[in-house]
Amino acid sequence: MSAGAIATDAPRGEPPLPVAHQFDDAAQQADAASLGMWLFLATEILFFGVLFFAYAVARARFPDAFAAASRHTNLLLGTTNTAVLLTSSFTMALAVHAAGARRMRAAALLLTLTAAIGVAFAAIKLTEYALDYRGHLVPVVNFAFDPRYAQGALLFFWLYFVTTGAHLVHLSIGVAIALTFAWRCARRAPGRLPEQVETAGLYWHFVDLVWIFLYPCLYLVART
Amino acid sequence: MTPSDLVAPVPSGAPPEARPALPHSYLTEGTTLRSWLTTTDHKRIAILYAVSITVFFFIGGAAATFMRLELATPAGDVVSAETYNKLFTMHGVIMVWFFLIPSIPATLGNFLVPLMIGARDLAFPRLNLASWYLYVGGATFTIIAMIAGGVDTGWTFYAPFSTLFSNTHVIYVLAGVFVVGFSSILTGLNFIVTIHTMRAPGVHWFRLPLFVWAQYATSAILVLATPVLAMTLILLALERIAGIGIFDPALGGDPLLFQHLFWFYSHPAVYVMVLPAMGVVSEIFACFSRNPIFGYRTMAYAIIAIAVIGFLVWGHHMFVSGQSMYAGVAFSLLSFLVAIPSAVKVFNWTATLWHGRIRYDAPMLYALGFVGLFTIGGMTGLFLAALALDVHLTDTYFVIAHFHYIMVGGSVSAYLGGIHFWWPKITGRLYSDRWARFAAILLFLGFNFTFFPQYLLGIEGMPRRYHAYPPEFQTLNVLSSAGAVILALGYLLPLIYLGWSLFRGRPAPANPWNATGLEWRTSSPPPENNFDVRPEMTEPPYAYREARLGRDIVEAREGTQ
Amino acid sequence: MKLPRPYVFTWLALLTLLAMTTGSAFVPLGRFNVVVNLAIALVKALLVVFVFMHVRRGSPMIRVFAVAGVLWLCLLAGLSLTDLATRG
Repeated sequence: MSAGAIATDAPRGEPPLPVAHQFDDAAQQADAASLGMWLFLATEILFFGVLFFAYAVARARFPDAFAAASRHTNLLLGTTNTAVLLTSSFTMALAVHAAGARRMRAAALLLTLTAAIGVAFAAIKLTEYALDYRGHLVPVVNFAFDPRYAQGALLFFWLYFVTTGAHLVHLSIGVAIALTFAWRCARRAPGRLPEQVETAGLYWHFVDLVWIFLYPCLYLVART
Repeated sequence: MTPSDLVAPVPSGAPPEARPALPHSYLTEGTTLRSWLTTTDHKRIAILYAVSITVFFFIGGAAATFMRLELATPAGDVVSAETYNKLFTMHGVIMVWFFLIPSIPATLGNFLVPLMIGARDLAFPRLNLASWYLYVGGATFTIIAMIAGGVDTGWTFYAPFSTLFSNTHVIYVLAGVFVVGFSSILTGLNFIVTIHTMRAPGVHWFRLPLFVWAQYATSAILVLATPVLAMTLILLALERIAGIGIFDPALGGDPLLFQHLFWFYSHPAVYVMVLPAMGVVSEIFACFSRNPIFGYRTMAYAIIAIAVIGFLVWGHHMFVSGQSMYAGVAFSLLSFLVAIPSAVKVFNWTATLWHGRIRYDAPMLYALGFVGLFTIGGMTGLFLAALALDVHLTDTYFVIAHFHYIMVGGSVSAYLGGIHFWWPKITGRLYSDRWARFAAILLFLGFNFTFFPQYLLGIEGMPRRYHAYPPEFQTLNVLSSAGAVILALGYLLPLIYLGWSLFRGRPAPANPWNATGLEWRTSSPPPENNFDVRPEMTEPPYAYREARLGRDIVEAREGTQ
Repeated sequence: MKLPRPYVFTWLALLTLLAMTTGSAFVPLGRFNVVVNLAIALVKALLVVFVFMHVRRGSPMIRVFAVAGVLWLCLLAGLSLTDLATRG
């Protein structure tokens, strides 16, 4: 079996894959799951896309304020977090690969590792929020900024909290999904798990993709 | 054994006790409330939706009743201006999101798509049930908003009024619409995956009924447009709660940004409301003219074209908003373009009737009504797409008449036509022809009396969303309000005779209309798994000219084949 | 367990690209900073999509859905800009 091929028929010696009543066979079921998840991710592109578009419009309106505001983001924590999340995608890809090769214990370990890295991301992010609070960068709560750029900076930080907040919500869901499947991989026979872990992996990678674009938008506007 | 043999015909003069109870079907599998509320059967979920949207249709209709009552006299003497604002807001919110958008897709679509492609259910049955619960959740938020005193922003929630000035419970309604939006997204996702992966043997793309094509295109719109609305509502709510100004000019924001984001969804949403109706009309026209649909492939392509081009025209809602003149020109040209595939469909329906053996049963009356009223509504859309004309007509009753001709004269007629066409399949009962035809005609007349005067009012300059008006507009307003009474009667009648048929209607044979399509090859109502024998499609769609389907509809319904 | 090489290389490439994008932010390129950052982000994204998400495997509809999502977002932005970018 080639690296990472989705198993849709149980290998010899294993019981046949459970197929829900509406499907004709396991292949159709796997196909539907894959299409369903990709279609869902397309909706998420549009969902987050609105925020990126709003950011672009606001930045075009307040280029200097956005530059000034971006310099107040924590580059160290932001960059570290990006590396952390990219690594979690790596471990998730490995988990999917392991599940596909029916190495369920390895898959369980890798899924747990992925979830742990996700939690680390969240912890770093929350630390960063605390520092932002200390720096009077939280809109409505305690925002204070150089009056020359206050209007634009307020918009910047509002977008910063909404986008990273929405991202964090999606990440948390991803962590829950990863842990759920880690548990199942550890306890149950493979069955449909290789296909399901692949589907879950797609969601995780999407969360990473959002951050890949968010990072330069928020942290790298004007570092020179 | 022909499908009609599945239910033994009973002479209509027999006493009620002699009529057999319905055979074993999806309706008899579990009769507790719990079995209905936890079902994953697409057919039962369709009925859950049908009941829910009917309730909301009448709530939205009640709001309209009060509005027409107020507008019968020039003075604002029935309700205050603020209350009137709340009435038209609730009318719009409820009718758009809690009736029209789910109507055909969530009821007829849910019921028929798996049947029409020969599948046992949708791809994700539990997700389907979740969609209904999301609908109910969203509806709950909206009811709470109503009880708490209503919302006065209009269904369009324009900033800065909705964010800075409205003193009503805007957030509740935003939450309600947000939640019901996910209901739509999941339904659309379910349909798309189902149609791609679960077609029975022989069900090629260009053998699909146009109803399925229409559901597919509608689902694509739901999936691509609704997420944008969802995020936009969040931004609106955050601006209202936290006061940060992405839409507020005083804080460097842009109210037109809201309008772009809002209409990017809301214009395609109107195609969500009309495409399924077009699908229903194609099914009915073919059956009741005993002809295949003229230009089947062109019709399928036209559906896709409408869905795609429909995403490119939203700025025509913003011609006088202060948007750039260049944008205005672009959107005006694109809006003219979307009329082309729509017109093609009207021509092809007309051509379908040519040399047909037309029967004017209730479904056909509704479908004919759709074509006529949609054409009028569509043509007036062209008036509005012309920049210079729109300057005068925008925000007048001309616009209201335009979209009601399409959404009510068109979509609601088609919805009712579809309900009447597939009622025997869904419920296993036949209803009274005479009452059905009478109701259809009453509805058509009532509709025109209600809404045609509004075109004239609009041309004369009567603005929308006002509870009082200058006395010279009274005659036309009285005509409109009187028409609304007839229209209301047209809506109430089906409740009565269709409801009656559930208890006293004659059992329906599998194919009472002698129609093509896989859904007619199973019993009425279908078994839980849809087909006792997995069907296979071996012929082109709408094979009405084939000799063995040449028999009359009447014979099929009487079961005397 | 032997780590599959495509994944390892992709991970290292992603981290390298991250270093590049962060580093380039300190180089004064004026307006090109945005271009460079977006370009690098795009490359990272394509790596994740092609290698980790196996977009080339499975039904062709997957690629259609992925492209449609991005394309529709571009329609939203593009047509809105006919207004937002040209208002006198």
